[in-house]
Amino acid sequence: MDGPPDFLDRRLGDLLEDIAARTPAPAGGSVAAIVVAMAAALATMAARFSSEHWEGAGGAVAQAEALRARVAPLAQEDARAYEKALEALRLPREGDPEVRNAALGEALALAAAVPLEIAAVASDVALLAADVAEHGNPNLRGDAAAAAALAGAGARVAANLVAINLGAVESDERVARARALAAAASEAAARALAPSP
Amino acid sequence: MSLAPLSDADVVARCRSGDQVAWCELVERFSRYVYAISTRAYRLSQHDAEDVFQEVFARTYEHLDRLRDDEAIRPWIGQLTRRLCIDRLRRDSREQVGDEELEPLEAADVLELLDEALSVHAALAALSGDCREILDRFFACDESYHTIGETLGIPSGTIASRISRCRGGSG
Repeated sequence: MDGPPDFLDRRLGDLLEDIAARTPAPAGGSVAAIVVAMAAALATMAARFSSEHWEGAGGAVAQAEALRARVAPLAQEDARAYEKALEALRLPREGDPEVRNAALGEALALAAAVPLEIAAVASDVALLAADVAEHGNPNLRGDAAAAAALAGAGARVAANLVAINLGAVESDERVARARALAAAASEAAARALAPSP
Repeated sequence: MSLAPLSDADVVARCRSGDQVAWCELVERFSRYVYAISTRAYRLSQHDAEDVFQEVFARTYEHLDRLRDDEAIRPWIGQLTRRLCIDRLRRDSREQVGDEELEPLEAADVLELLDEALSVHAALAALSGDCREILDRFFACDESYHTIGETLGIPSGTIASRISRCRGGSG
């Protein structure tokens, strides 16, 4: 049986149609992962134009490329995890409640783990992009700031999905961790977007 | 004293002057490389791979005085290992065939990967301990800045610039 199409192999116009379609996935988590991957690519570009301005430019390029490679596949993984959660929710209620609860718990934990990973990478992209905005080529500061802002938004979206998928249990360590990552990303994005001195 | 930060050429030069510690370092530095070429690129059995391993280092020791370029010891050892692996495969083959037919299809790709891994390892070994650890955690273990910061007791907001400095060579 054919699996779902790989989002990274889709034409951008087709992917937008996929997102807009009345289907459960791709949805918020996948879109957050794609946006963060784009932000990482933007940070790479800004760092590549900064090699004459900043000795750390090469290191920033390497990090941004590594982060993009980490986050891009999470778009597909999030869609798979979400579909698994929906399948678990559809398990018949008249069956063994323990079996259903275990399957549901496992599926929801996975559905929270993927956005948590997206939030972690998004936070890193925002911190890195803020560094590029601060030290890199001033002509590319707007692009680096855009990368930080997009990554910051991706981190907040992903953190919110962690909370939703875990049933908004604020005391859960994963929710607290996701919120901390989103806060760090937002702070970095604000720094990058602030007018240059 | 650890010889790990020394270049390949320096280790070879020390071996040539009879330094036993340097010889141990050279074997340690390339042992996994030689073994991986035998088992992963040429799929030799453990027994055959061990024979190739012994032969490679015996010949390396004998040829130390005749090496044209000490810095090129790695490609020299790599080429010697490949040749000995092909000899071993030819010995086990019933038909008369050329080297290319004996070489597994994916051997070139595996060799490229092994070379790349060794280059990364050598580059990391040349860095200061702090840089080595932080780069290893980020690039090899895929740890986030947050996790690295928590583990090493460093503010996570400074990890990206530390990595950039380390990669820039000022670490």
